[in-house]
Amino acid sequence: MLIDRAPAPTLPRARDAVHAIAVLFFTAALALGALGWWAGDSFYLRLATEALIFAGLAMSVDILLGYTGLLSLGQALWFGVGAYTSAVILRDVAASFWLAMGATLVVTTLAGTVGGLIANRVKGVYFALITFGLAQVVAKVVYNTRELGASDGLIGVPEITIPLGFATVDAANPAGFFLLVLALVALLYAGLAYLMDAPFGRTLIAIRANEKRVPFLGFNPLVHRMLAYVLAANVAALAGALYPMLRGFVSPELLFFQTSGNAVITVIVGGVGTLIGPVVGSVLLTALRSVVGTWTEHHLIVIGVLFMLSVVVMPKGLVGAVRPWLQRRLSGSESPR
Amino acid sequence: MLEITDLHAHYGLSHVLQGVTLTGAAGEVVSLFGRNGVGKTTIIKTIAGWVRPTSGSIRLDGADIGGRPADRICRMGLGIVPEDRRIFPGLSVLENLELGLHQTAGRSRSEKREALDRVLERFPRLKERRAQMGTTLSGGEQQMLAMARVMVGAPRVLLIDEPTEGLAPMIVDEIFGIITTLRDQGLLILLVEQNVHRAIAVTSRFYAIERGQVVFTGSAANADDRERLFGTIAV
Repeated sequence: MLIDRAPAPTLPRARDAVHAIAVLFFTAALALGALGWWAGDSFYLRLATEALIFAGLAMSVDILLGYTGLLSLGQALWFGVGAYTSAVILRDVAASFWLAMGATLVVTTLAGTVGGLIANRVKGVYFALITFGLAQVVAKVVYNTRELGASDGLIGVPEITIPLGFATVDAANPAGFFLLVLALVALLYAGLAYLMDAPFGRTLIAIRANEKRVPFLGFNPLVHRMLAYVLAANVAALAGALYPMLRGFVSPELLFFQTSGNAVITVIVGGVGTLIGPVVGSVLLTALRSVVGTWTEHHLIVIGVLFMLSVVVMPKGLVGAVRPWLQRRLSGSESPR
Repeated sequence: MLEITDLHAHYGLSHVLQGVTLTGAAGEVVSLFGRNGVGKTTIIKTIAGWVRPTSGSIRLDGADIGGRPADRICRMGLGIVPEDRRIFPGLSVLENLELGLHQTAGRSRSEKREALDRVLERFPRLKERRAQMGTTLSGGEQQMLAMARVMVGAPRVLLIDEPTEGLAPMIVDEIFGIITTLRDQGLLILLVEQNVHRAIAVTSRFYAIERGQVVFTGSAANADDRERLFGTIAV
Protein backbone atom coordinates (compact mmCIF):
# COMPACT_ATOMS: atom_id res chain seq x y z
CA MET A 1 0.00 0.00 0.00
CA LEU A 2 1.42 3.30 -1.03
CA ILE A 3 -0.23 5.53 1.47
CA ASP A 4 -0.59 5.07 5.14
CA ARG A 5 -4.28 4.55 5.64
CA ALA A 6 -4.26 4.79 9.39
CA PRO A 7 -5.98 7.93 10.61
CA ALA A 8 -3.75 10.95 10.58
CA PRO A 9 -2.11 11.54 13.96
CA THR A 10 -4.79 13.85 15.24
CA LEU A 11 -7.50 12.17 17.24
CA PRO A 12 -9.01 8.76 17.64
CA ARG A 13 -12.14 8.66 15.56
CA ALA A 14 -15.62 8.80 16.99
CA ARG A 15 -16.02 5.13 16.09
CA ASP A 16 -13.02 4.13 18.20
CA ALA A 17 -14.74 5.68 21.20
CA VAL A 18 -17.87 3.71 20.36
CA HIS A 19 -15.89 0.46 20.15
CA ALA A 20 -14.35 1.26 23.53
CA ILE A 21 -17.84 1.61 24.99
CA ALA A 22 -18.75 -1.75 23.46
CA VAL A 23 -15.74 -3.46 24.98
CA LEU A 24 -16.56 -1.92 28.37
CA PHE A 25 -20.17 -2.99 28.08
CA PHE A 26 -19.51 -6.60 27.15
CA THR A 27 -16.79 -6.94 29.79
CA ALA A 28 -19.13 -5.56 32.46
CA ALA A 29 -21.92 -7.87 31.27
CA LEU A 30 -19.58 -10.84 31.48
CA ALA A 31 -18.51 -9.87 35.00
CA LEU A 32 -22.10 -9.38 36.17
CA GLY A 33 -23.06 -12.67 34.54
CA ALA A 34 -20.30 -14.43 36.45
CA LEU A 35 -21.51 -12.76 39.64
CA GLY A 36 -25.06 -13.95 38.95
CA TRP A 37 -23.83 -17.48 38.32
CA TRP A 38 -21.78 -17.43 41.52
CA ALA A 39 -24.77 -16.16 43.50
CA GLY A 40 -27.00 -18.80 41.94
CA ASP A 41 -29.37 -16.11 40.64
CA SER A 42 -31.98 -16.89 38.05
CA PHE A 43 -34.37 -13.90 37.95
CA TYR A 44 -31.81 -11.24 37.07
CA LEU A 45 -29.95 -13.46 34.63
CA ARG A 46 -33.14 -14.21 32.73
CA LEU A 47 -34.14 -10.55 32.79
CA ALA A 48 -30.71 -9.61 31.44
CA THR A 49 -31.03 -12.30 28.76
CA GLU A 50 -34.34 -10.81 27.68
CA ALA A 51 -32.77 -7.34 27.60
CA LEU A 52 -30.02 -8.66 25.31
CA ILE A 53 -32.57 -10.34 23.04
CA PHE A 54 -34.44 -7.06 22.64
CA ALA A 55 -31.06 -5.39 22.12
CA GLY A 56 -30.82 -7.42 18.91
CA LEU A 57 -34.13 -5.97 17.76
CA ALA A 58 -32.96 -2.46 18.65
CA MET A 59 -29.71 -2.96 16.69
CA SER A 60 -31.76 -3.88 13.65
CA VAL A 61 -33.73 -0.65 14.00
CA ASP A 62 -30.40 1.21 14.23
CA ILE A 63 -29.14 -0.27 10.95
CA LEU A 64 -32.14 1.30 9.24
CA LEU A 65 -32.51 4.50 11.28
CA GLY A 66 -28.93 5.31 12.21
CA TYR A 67 -27.15 4.24 9.03
CA THR A 68 -29.65 4.21 6.19
CA GLY A 69 -31.93 7.00 7.44
CA LEU A 70 -35.09 4.86 7.36
CA LEU A 71 -37.45 4.87 10.32
CA SER A 72 -39.09 1.47 10.67
CA LEU A 73 -42.16 1.46 12.89
CA GLY A 74 -42.73 -2.21 12.25
CA GLN A 75 -39.48 -3.94 13.06
CA ALA A 76 -41.35 -6.17 15.51
CA LEU A 77 -42.64 -7.94 12.41
CA TRP A 78 -39.23 -9.52 11.84
CA PHE A 79 -38.65 -10.17 15.51
CA GLY A 80 -41.98 -12.01 15.47
CA VAL A 81 -41.19 -13.91 12.29
CA GLY A 82 -38.00 -15.15 13.96
CA ALA A 83 -39.78 -16.00 17.22
CA TYR A 84 -42.58 -17.91 15.51
CA THR A 85 -40.31 -19.72 13.05
CA SER A 86 -38.06 -20.80 15.88
CA ALA A 87 -41.00 -21.84 18.09
CA VAL A 88 -42.62 -23.89 15.32
CA ILE A 89 -39.35 -25.62 14.44
CA LEU A 90 -38.46 -26.39 18.06
CA ARG A 91 -41.94 -27.62 18.92
CA ASP A 92 -43.01 -29.45 15.79
CA VAL A 93 -39.88 -30.35 13.80
CA ALA A 94 -36.85 -30.90 15.99
CA ALA A 95 -35.54 -29.39 19.20
CA SER A 96 -32.42 -28.19 17.44
CA PHE A 97 -30.96 -24.73 18.06
CA TRP A 98 -29.05 -24.68 14.78
CA LEU A 99 -32.03 -25.82 12.74
CA ALA A 100 -34.20 -23.12 14.32
CA MET A 101 -31.62 -20.40 13.62
CA GLY A 102 -31.01 -21.63 10.07
CA ALA A 103 -34.73 -21.82 9.27
CA THR A 104 -35.18 -18.32 10.70
CA LEU A 105 -32.50 -16.96 8.35
CA VAL A 106 -34.04 -18.65 5.31
CA VAL A 107 -37.63 -17.61 6.08
CA THR A 108 -36.62 -14.05 6.97
CA THR A 109 -34.47 -13.58 3.90
CA LEU A 110 -37.31 -14.67 1.64
CA ALA A 111 -40.07 -12.79 3.47
CA GLY A 112 -37.77 -9.82 4.09
CA THR A 113 -37.10 -9.50 0.37
CA VAL A 114 -40.82 -9.33 -0.32
CA GLY A 115 -41.38 -6.88 2.56
CA GLY A 116 -38.41 -4.81 1.46
CA LEU A 117 -39.71 -4.55 -2.09
CA ILE A 118 -42.98 -3.20 -0.72
CA ALA A 119 -41.54 -0.84 1.91
CA ASN A 120 -38.68 0.50 -0.22
CA ARG A 121 -41.00 1.79 -2.89
CA VAL A 122 -41.32 4.85 -0.71
CA LYS A 123 -39.16 6.93 1.61
CA GLY A 124 -39.39 9.07 4.70
CA VAL A 125 -42.64 9.16 6.57
CA TYR A 126 -44.27 6.85 4.03
CA PHE A 127 -41.66 4.20 4.70
CA ALA A 128 -42.47 4.47 8.40
CA LEU A 129 -46.18 4.08 7.67
CA ILE A 130 -45.72 1.10 5.35
CA THR A 131 -43.49 -0.75 7.79
CA PHE A 132 -46.05 -0.01 10.49
CA GLY A 133 -48.86 -1.30 8.28
CA LEU A 134 -47.01 -4.46 7.25
CA ALA A 135 -46.38 -5.36 10.87
CA GLN A 136 -50.00 -4.68 11.85
CA VAL A 137 -51.32 -6.84 9.02
CA VAL A 138 -49.08 -9.79 9.88
CA ALA A 139 -49.78 -9.36 13.60
CA LYS A 140 -53.52 -9.53 12.95
CA VAL A 141 -53.11 -12.58 10.70
CA VAL A 142 -51.08 -14.37 13.37
CA TYR A 143 -53.59 -13.27 16.02
CA ASN A 144 -56.35 -14.98 14.07
CA THR A 145 -54.55 -18.09 12.87
CA ARG A 146 -55.44 -21.06 14.99
CA GLU A 147 -52.47 -23.11 13.70
CA LEU A 148 -50.18 -20.49 15.24
CA GLY A 149 -52.06 -20.47 18.51
CA ALA A 150 -54.09 -17.36 17.62
CA SER A 151 -54.37 -14.89 20.50
CA ASP A 152 -52.92 -17.37 23.01
CA GLY A 153 -49.67 -17.69 21.13
CA LEU A 154 -47.61 -20.85 20.81
CA ILE A 155 -46.99 -22.56 24.10
CA GLY A 156 -45.06 -25.64 24.99
CA VAL A 157 -41.79 -24.88 23.24
CA PRO A 158 -39.44 -27.54 24.65
CA GLU A 159 -36.33 -26.69 26.62
CA ILE A 160 -33.37 -27.38 24.41
CA THR A 161 -29.72 -28.17 24.78
CA ILE A 162 -27.43 -26.34 22.41
CA PRO A 163 -24.32 -28.15 21.17
CA LEU A 164 -21.52 -25.66 20.48
CA GLY A 165 -18.81 -28.12 19.58
CA PHE A 166 -16.60 -27.34 22.57
CA ALA A 167 -19.44 -27.29 25.09
CA THR A 168 -23.15 -27.86 25.46
CA VAL A 169 -25.42 -25.15 26.78
CA ASP A 170 -28.72 -25.90 28.43
CA ALA A 171 -31.25 -23.19 27.53
CA ALA A 172 -32.95 -23.79 30.88
CA ASN A 173 -29.73 -22.91 32.72
CA PRO A 174 -29.96 -19.13 33.34
CA ALA A 175 -26.21 -18.47 33.43
CA GLY A 176 -25.44 -20.72 30.48
CA PHE A 177 -28.13 -19.27 28.23
CA PHE A 178 -27.25 -15.73 29.31
CA LEU A 179 -23.66 -16.34 28.25
CA LEU A 180 -24.75 -17.78 24.92
CA VAL A 181 -27.04 -14.84 24.17
CA LEU A 182 -24.36 -12.39 25.31
CA ALA A 183 -21.88 -14.04 22.96
CA LEU A 184 -24.37 -13.94 20.08
CA VAL A 185 -25.19 -10.26 20.65
CA ALA A 186 -21.47 -9.46 20.90
CA LEU A 187 -20.88 -11.33 17.64
CA LEU A 188 -23.78 -9.54 15.97
CA TYR A 189 -22.43 -6.21 17.20
CA ALA A 190 -18.91 -6.97 15.99
CA GLY A 191 -20.12 -8.21 12.62
CA LEU A 192 -22.42 -5.26 12.08
CA ALA A 193 -19.84 -2.73 13.28
CA TYR A 194 -17.36 -4.21 10.82
CA LEU A 195 -19.89 -4.13 8.00
CA MET A 196 -20.94 -0.56 8.76
CA ASP A 197 -17.29 0.55 8.67
CA ALA A 198 -16.76 -1.26 5.35
CA PRO A 199 -17.65 0.30 1.98
CA PHE A 200 -21.18 -1.12 2.28
CA GLY A 201 -21.84 0.78 5.51
CA ARG A 202 -20.34 3.97 4.14
CA THR A 203 -22.65 3.77 1.18
CA LEU A 204 -25.56 3.49 3.61
CA ILE A 205 -24.28 6.55 5.49
CA ALA A 206 -24.05 8.38 2.19
CA ILE A 207 -27.62 7.37 1.37
CA ARG A 208 -28.78 8.65 4.74
CA ALA A 209 -27.00 11.94 4.12
CA ASN A 210 -28.16 12.44 0.57
CA GLU A 211 -29.74 9.70 -1.43
CA LYS A 212 -29.96 11.74 -4.64
CA ARG A 213 -26.22 12.23 -4.74
CA VAL A 214 -25.34 8.54 -4.44
CA PRO A 215 -26.15 7.43 -8.01
CA PHE A 216 -23.51 9.88 -9.28
CA LEU A 217 -20.91 7.77 -7.53
CA GLY A 218 -22.13 4.70 -9.37
CA PHE A 219 -24.25 3.22 -6.58
CA ASN A 220 -27.84 2.12 -6.95
CA PRO A 221 -29.49 3.42 -3.77
CA LEU A 222 -32.47 1.07 -4.07
CA VAL A 223 -30.23 -2.01 -4.08
CA HIS A 224 -28.44 -0.75 -0.98
CA ARG A 225 -31.67 0.10 0.81
CA MET A 226 -32.96 -3.39 0.01
CA LEU A 227 -29.77 -5.01 1.34
CA ALA A 228 -29.96 -2.91 4.50
CA TYR A 229 -33.62 -3.83 4.95
CA VAL A 230 -33.08 -7.58 4.54
CA LEU A 231 -30.00 -7.43 6.78
CA ALA A 232 -31.94 -5.60 9.49
CA ALA A 233 -34.84 -8.06 9.17
CA ASN A 234 -32.45 -10.96 9.71
CA VAL A 235 -30.83 -9.34 12.74
CA ALA A 236 -34.25 -8.77 14.30
CA ALA A 237 -35.36 -12.30 13.43
CA LEU A 238 -32.25 -13.94 14.89
CA ALA A 239 -32.90 -12.06 18.13
CA GLY A 240 -36.54 -13.10 17.97
CA ALA A 241 -35.58 -16.74 17.41
CA LEU A 242 -33.89 -16.74 20.83
CA TYR A 243 -37.04 -15.57 22.58
CA PRO A 244 -38.98 -18.88 22.71
CA MET A 245 -35.81 -20.63 23.89
CA LEU A 246 -35.80 -18.31 26.90
CA ARG A 247 -39.52 -18.09 27.66
CA GLY A 248 -40.86 -21.35 26.28
CA PHE A 249 -43.67 -19.59 24.41
CA VAL A 250 -44.34 -16.85 21.87
CA SER A 251 -47.36 -14.59 21.71
CA PRO A 252 -48.73 -12.30 19.01
CA GLU A 253 -47.94 -9.29 21.24
CA LEU A 254 -44.35 -9.70 20.09
CA LEU A 255 -45.44 -8.38 16.69
CA PHE A 256 -47.50 -5.50 18.00
CA PHE A 257 -46.61 -1.84 17.70
CA GLN A 258 -45.63 -1.74 21.37
CA THR A 259 -42.64 -3.94 20.54
CA SER A 260 -41.66 -1.89 17.47
CA GLY A 261 -42.13 1.40 19.32
CA ASN A 262 -40.09 0.22 22.29
CA ALA A 263 -37.26 -0.71 19.93
CA VAL A 264 -37.24 2.77 18.40
CA ILE A 265 -37.26 4.38 21.86
CA THR A 266 -34.42 2.08 22.89
CA VAL A 267 -32.33 3.20 19.93
CA ILE A 268 -32.98 6.88 20.57
CA VAL A 269 -32.23 6.65 24.29
CA GLY A 270 -29.09 4.58 23.67
CA GLY A 271 -27.72 6.59 20.75
CA VAL A 272 -28.74 6.46 17.08
CA GLY A 273 -26.12 5.28 14.61
CA THR A 274 -23.80 3.73 17.18
CA LEU A 275 -25.01 0.07 17.26
CA ILE A 276 -23.80 -0.29 20.85
CA GLY A 277 -26.19 2.46 21.95
CA PRO A 278 -29.24 0.28 21.28
CA VAL A 279 -27.67 -2.55 23.30
CA VAL A 280 -26.91 -0.27 26.25
CA GLY A 281 -30.34 1.34 25.89
CA SER A 282 -32.10 -2.02 25.91
CA VAL A 283 -30.40 -3.12 29.11
CA LEU A 284 -31.08 0.24 30.73
CA LEU A 285 -34.75 0.39 29.76
CA THR A 286 -35.39 -3.23 30.71
CA ALA A 287 -33.82 -2.63 34.10
CA LEU A 288 -35.78 0.58 34.53
CA ARG A 289 -39.05 -1.09 33.58
CA SER A 290 -38.39 -3.85 36.05
CA VAL A 291 -37.35 -1.56 38.90
CA VAL A 292 -40.06 1.05 38.38
CA GLY A 293 -42.55 -1.75 37.83
CA THR A 294 -41.98 -3.00 41.37
CA TRP A 295 -42.79 0.48 42.79
CA THR A 296 -45.85 1.35 40.79
CA GLU A 297 -48.28 -0.13 38.33
CA HIS A 298 -48.08 3.04 36.26
CA HIS A 299 -44.45 2.49 35.30
CA LEU A 300 -45.13 3.54 31.70
CA ILE A 301 -45.79 7.11 32.89
CA VAL A 302 -42.45 7.25 34.67
CA ILE A 303 -40.64 5.76 31.69
CA GLY A 304 -42.40 8.14 29.30
CA VAL A 305 -41.25 11.15 31.32
CA LEU A 306 -37.73 9.77 31.53
CA PHE A 307 -37.73 9.23 27.78
CA MET A 308 -38.74 12.84 27.12
CA LEU A 309 -36.12 14.10 29.54
CA SER A 310 -33.40 11.99 27.97
CA VAL A 311 -34.26 13.25 24.48
CA VAL A 312 -34.08 16.86 25.69
CA VAL A 313 -30.90 16.46 27.74
CA MET A 314 -29.10 13.95 25.48
CA PRO A 315 -30.45 14.32 21.95
CA LYS A 316 -27.72 12.01 20.69
CA GLY A 317 -28.55 9.37 23.23
CA LEU A 318 -26.49 7.97 26.04
CA VAL A 319 -23.62 6.78 23.88
CA GLY A 320 -23.73 9.97 21.82
CA ALA A 321 -23.40 11.99 25.02
CA VAL A 322 -20.50 9.99 26.45
CA ARG A 323 -18.62 9.66 23.16
CA PRO A 324 -16.96 13.11 22.96
CA TRP A 325 -15.78 12.83 26.53
CA LEU A 326 -14.37 9.36 25.90
CA GLN A 327 -12.75 10.56 22.70
CA ARG A 328 -10.94 13.24 24.70
CA ARG A 329 -9.85 10.69 27.28
CA LEU A 330 -8.54 8.36 24.58
CA SER A 331 -6.58 11.14 22.94
CA GLY A 332 -5.14 12.80 26.05
CA SER A 333 -6.15 16.43 26.12
CA GLU A 334 -7.20 17.72 22.72
CA SER A 335 -10.82 18.61 22.04
CA PRO A 336 -12.82 16.33 19.76
CA ARG A 337 -13.50 17.12 16.17
CA MET B 1 -17.00 10.89 -27.62
CA LEU B 2 -20.13 12.65 -26.38
CA GLU B 3 -22.83 13.37 -28.94
CA ILE B 4 -26.09 15.01 -28.00
CA THR B 5 -28.72 15.34 -30.66
CA ASP B 6 -31.96 17.32 -30.49
CA LEU B 7 -32.34 16.88 -26.74
CA HIS B 8 -35.63 17.86 -25.13
CA ALA B 9 -36.48 17.81 -21.44
CA HIS B 10 -39.37 19.01 -19.29
CA TYR B 11 -39.86 19.91 -15.67
CA GLY B 12 -43.52 19.08 -15.36
CA LEU B 13 -45.17 21.18 -18.05
CA SER B 14 -42.31 23.59 -18.60
CA HIS B 15 -40.27 22.77 -21.66
CA VAL B 16 -36.75 23.41 -20.41
CA LEU B 17 -34.53 21.94 -23.10
CA GLN B 18 -35.83 22.61 -26.58
CA GLY B 19 -33.65 20.68 -28.95
CA VAL B 20 -30.07 20.94 -27.74
CA THR B 21 -27.41 19.52 -30.02
CA LEU B 22 -23.79 19.47 -28.95
CA THR B 23 -20.69 17.34 -29.20
CA GLY B 24 -17.45 16.92 -27.34
CA ALA B 25 -14.23 15.03 -27.99
CA ALA B 26 -11.51 13.69 -25.72
CA GLY B 27 -9.07 16.37 -24.55
CA GLU B 28 -11.53 19.22 -24.93
CA VAL B 29 -13.09 21.62 -22.49
CA VAL B 30 -16.56 22.39 -23.82
CA SER B 31 -18.26 25.25 -21.99
CA LEU B 32 -21.93 26.08 -21.80
CA PHE B 33 -22.53 29.81 -21.37
CA GLY B 34 -25.74 31.68 -20.83
CA ARG B 35 -27.74 33.64 -18.32
CA ASN B 36 -29.35 32.13 -15.26
CA GLY B 37 -32.24 29.80 -15.90
CA VAL B 38 -31.60 29.08 -19.58
CA GLY B 39 -31.09 25.34 -19.00
CA LYS B 40 -27.32 24.90 -18.62
CA THR B 41 -27.60 22.93 -15.42
CA THR B 42 -30.51 20.95 -16.85
CA ILE B 43 -28.31 19.89 -19.78
CA ILE B 44 -25.75 18.58 -17.30
CA LYS B 45 -28.40 16.87 -15.19
CA THR B 46 -29.99 15.26 -18.22
CA ILE B 47 -26.69 13.87 -19.45
CA ALA B 48 -25.94 12.48 -15.99
CA GLY B 49 -29.32 10.76 -15.79
CA TRP B 50 -30.80 12.98 -13.11
CA VAL B 51 -33.45 14.40 -15.43
CA ARG B 52 -35.11 12.11 -17.97
CA PRO B 53 -34.98 13.42 -21.52
CA THR B 54 -38.35 13.58 -23.27
CA SER B 55 -36.77 13.04 -26.66
CA GLY B 56 -33.45 13.20 -28.46
CA SER B 57 -30.35 11.11 -27.97
CA ILE B 58 -27.29 11.23 -25.75
CA ARG B 59 -24.43 9.04 -26.94
CA LEU B 60 -21.32 8.23 -24.96
CA ASP B 61 -18.77 6.52 -27.19
CA GLY B 62 -21.60 5.44 -29.45
CA ALA B 63 -23.79 3.94 -26.72
CA ASP B 64 -27.12 5.63 -26.14
CA ILE B 65 -27.27 6.61 -22.47
CA GLY B 66 -30.35 8.84 -22.64
CA GLY B 67 -32.79 7.93 -19.88
CA ARG B 68 -30.59 5.30 -18.29
CA PRO B 69 -30.33 5.32 -14.49
CA ALA B 70 -27.67 7.67 -13.13
CA ASP B 71 -25.66 4.94 -11.43
CA ARG B 72 -25.33 3.00 -14.70
CA ILE B 73 -24.20 6.09 -16.59
CA CYS B 74 -21.66 6.79 -13.87
CA ARG B 75 -20.33 3.23 -14.07
CA MET B 76 -19.79 3.80 -17.80
CA GLY B 77 -17.20 6.46 -17.04
CA LEU B 78 -19.14 9.69 -16.82
CA GLY B 79 -18.39 11.75 -13.72
CA ILE B 80 -20.20 14.78 -12.38
CA VAL B 81 -19.28 17.50 -9.90
CA PRO B 82 -22.66 19.04 -9.10
CA GLU B 83 -23.22 22.65 -8.21
CA ASP B 84 -23.72 22.04 -4.50
CA ARG B 85 -20.70 20.04 -3.55
CA ARG B 86 -22.51 17.48 -1.41
CA ILE B 87 -19.80 16.22 0.85
CA PHE B 88 -21.37 13.42 2.86
CA PRO B 89 -21.65 14.27 6.54
CA GLY B 90 -20.70 11.46 8.89
CA LEU B 91 -17.81 10.38 6.68
CA SER B 92 -14.16 11.43 6.81
CA VAL B 93 -12.30 12.96 3.88
CA LEU B 94 -10.73 9.61 3.03
CA GLU B 95 -14.07 7.79 3.28
CA ASN B 96 -15.67 10.37 1.00
CA LEU B 97 -12.89 9.72 -1.49
CA GLU B 98 -13.21 5.95 -1.19
CA LEU B 99 -16.88 6.21 -2.10
CA GLY B 100 -15.69 7.60 -5.43
CA LEU B 101 -13.87 4.36 -6.23
CA HIS B 102 -17.08 2.66 -7.33
CA GLN B 103 -17.39 4.92 -10.38
CA THR B 104 -16.34 3.52 -13.76
CA ALA B 105 -16.86 -0.23 -13.83
CA GLY B 106 -14.18 -2.75 -14.67
CA ARG B 107 -11.25 -1.38 -12.71
CA SER B 108 -9.09 -3.76 -10.73
CA ARG B 109 -8.39 -3.31 -7.05
CA SER B 110 -4.84 -2.13 -7.72
CA GLU B 111 -6.01 0.34 -10.35
CA LYS B 112 -8.41 1.79 -7.84
CA ARG B 113 -5.73 2.05 -5.18
CA GLU B 114 -3.40 3.77 -7.60
CA ALA B 115 -6.14 6.21 -8.56
CA LEU B 116 -6.71 7.01 -4.90
CA ASP B 117 -3.02 7.43 -4.17
CA ARG B 118 -2.53 9.65 -7.23
CA VAL B 119 -5.39 11.90 -6.19
CA LEU B 120 -4.09 12.15 -2.63
CA GLU B 121 -0.67 13.15 -4.00
CA ARG B 122 -2.35 15.72 -6.22
CA PHE B 123 -4.23 17.24 -3.25
CA PRO B 124 -1.80 17.43 -0.34
CA ARG B 125 -4.31 19.42 1.73
CA LEU B 126 -6.78 16.56 1.54
CA LYS B 127 -4.12 13.99 2.28
CA GLU B 128 -3.15 15.94 5.36
CA ARG B 129 -6.77 16.11 6.50
CA ARG B 130 -7.90 12.68 5.40
CA ALA B 131 -9.03 11.60 8.86
CA GLN B 132 -11.06 14.76 9.38
CA MET B 133 -14.82 14.80 8.84
CA GLY B 134 -15.54 15.97 5.29
CA THR B 135 -18.01 18.62 6.35
CA THR B 136 -15.48 20.34 8.64
CA LEU B 137 -13.45 21.46 5.60
CA SER B 138 -13.71 25.01 4.31
CA GLY B 139 -15.84 25.74 1.26
CA GLY B 140 -12.83 25.70 -1.05
CA GLU B 141 -11.50 22.49 0.43
CA GLN B 142 -14.91 20.89 0.06
CA GLN B 143 -14.91 21.83 -3.61
CA MET B 144 -11.45 20.25 -3.89
CA LEU B 145 -12.81 17.15 -2.18
CA ALA B 146 -15.75 17.01 -4.58
CA MET B 147 -13.34 17.29 -7.53
CA ALA B 148 -10.96 14.76 -6.00
CA ARG B 149 -13.80 12.32 -5.32
CA VAL B 150 -14.86 12.32 -8.93
CA MET B 151 -11.22 12.06 -10.12
CA VAL B 152 -10.74 8.94 -8.00
CA GLY B 153 -13.42 7.44 -10.21
CA ALA B 154 -11.20 7.94 -13.31
CA PRO B 155 -14.02 9.15 -15.57
CA ARG B 156 -13.51 9.75 -19.29
CA VAL B 157 -16.10 12.48 -19.38
CA LEU B 158 -16.48 14.99 -16.57
CA LEU B 159 -19.42 17.33 -16.11
CA ILE B 160 -18.68 20.28 -13.84
CA ASP B 161 -21.41 22.67 -12.74
CA GLU B 162 -20.41 26.10 -11.36
CA PRO B 163 -17.22 24.96 -9.66
CA THR B 164 -16.02 28.36 -8.48
CA GLU B 165 -19.23 29.86 -7.15
CA GLY B 166 -18.55 31.66 -3.89
CA LEU B 167 -14.91 30.62 -3.62
CA ALA B 168 -11.77 32.67 -2.92
CA PRO B 169 -9.67 33.76 -5.94
CA MET B 170 -6.75 31.53 -5.00
CA ILE B 171 -8.97 28.47 -4.96
CA VAL B 172 -10.57 29.53 -8.24
CA ASP B 173 -7.06 29.54 -9.75
CA GLU B 174 -6.43 26.07 -8.43
CA ILE B 175 -9.72 24.74 -9.80
CA PHE B 176 -8.99 26.07 -13.27
CA GLY B 177 -5.53 24.53 -12.95
CA ILE B 178 -7.09 21.14 -12.22
CA ILE B 179 -9.47 21.48 -15.16
CA THR B 180 -6.53 22.21 -17.46
CA THR B 181 -4.60 19.21 -16.15
CA LEU B 182 -7.53 16.89 -16.64
CA ARG B 183 -8.08 18.21 -20.15
CA ASP B 184 -4.42 17.58 -20.96
CA GLN B 185 -4.80 14.03 -19.64
CA GLY B 186 -7.37 13.46 -22.37
CA LEU B 187 -10.66 13.88 -20.52
CA LEU B 188 -13.62 15.55 -22.10
CA ILE B 189 -14.84 18.24 -19.72
CA LEU B 190 -18.24 19.82 -20.03
CA LEU B 191 -18.17 23.00 -17.99
CA VAL B 192 -20.88 25.34 -16.79
CA GLU B 193 -19.37 28.47 -15.28
CA GLN B 194 -20.71 31.96 -14.66
CA ASN B 195 -17.26 33.47 -14.59
CA VAL B 196 -17.03 33.59 -18.39
CA HIS B 197 -13.76 35.52 -18.55
CA ARG B 198 -11.96 32.93 -16.48
CA ALA B 199 -13.66 29.95 -18.08
CA ILE B 200 -12.98 31.06 -21.64
CA ALA B 201 -9.25 30.82 -20.94
CA VAL B 202 -9.41 27.05 -20.46
CA THR B 203 -12.22 26.42 -22.94
CA SER B 204 -11.69 24.82 -26.36
CA ARG B 205 -15.19 25.30 -27.73
CA PHE B 206 -18.32 26.79 -26.30
CA TYR B 207 -22.07 26.81 -26.77
CA ALA B 208 -24.16 29.87 -25.99
CA ILE B 209 -27.51 28.80 -24.56
CA GLU B 210 -30.71 30.80 -24.52
CA ARG B 211 -34.17 29.58 -23.53
CA GLY B 212 -33.19 25.94 -23.71
CA GLN B 213 -31.57 26.16 -27.12
CA VAL B 214 -28.08 26.55 -28.49
CA VAL B 215 -28.03 29.98 -30.13
CA PHE B 216 -24.53 29.74 -31.46
CA THR B 217 -21.33 27.86 -31.03
CA GLY B 218 -17.78 29.01 -31.39
CA SER B 219 -14.14 28.43 -30.68
CA ALA B 220 -12.58 30.11 -27.67
CA ALA B 221 -9.44 30.82 -29.68
CA ASN B 222 -11.37 32.86 -32.23
CA ALA B 223 -11.62 36.54 -31.24
CA ASP B 224 -14.78 37.15 -33.30
CA ASP B 225 -16.55 34.23 -31.64
CA ARG B 226 -15.55 35.58 -28.26
CA GLU B 227 -16.86 39.05 -29.08
CA ARG B 228 -20.12 37.61 -30.23
CA LEU B 229 -20.41 35.50 -27.07
CA PHE B 230 -19.84 38.47 -24.79
CA GLY B 231 -22.41 40.42 -26.78
CA THR B 232 -24.99 37.63 -26.52
CA ILE B 233 -24.76 36.97 -22.84
CA ALA B 234 -23.88 40.61 -22.01
CA VAL B 235 -20.96 40.26 -19.66
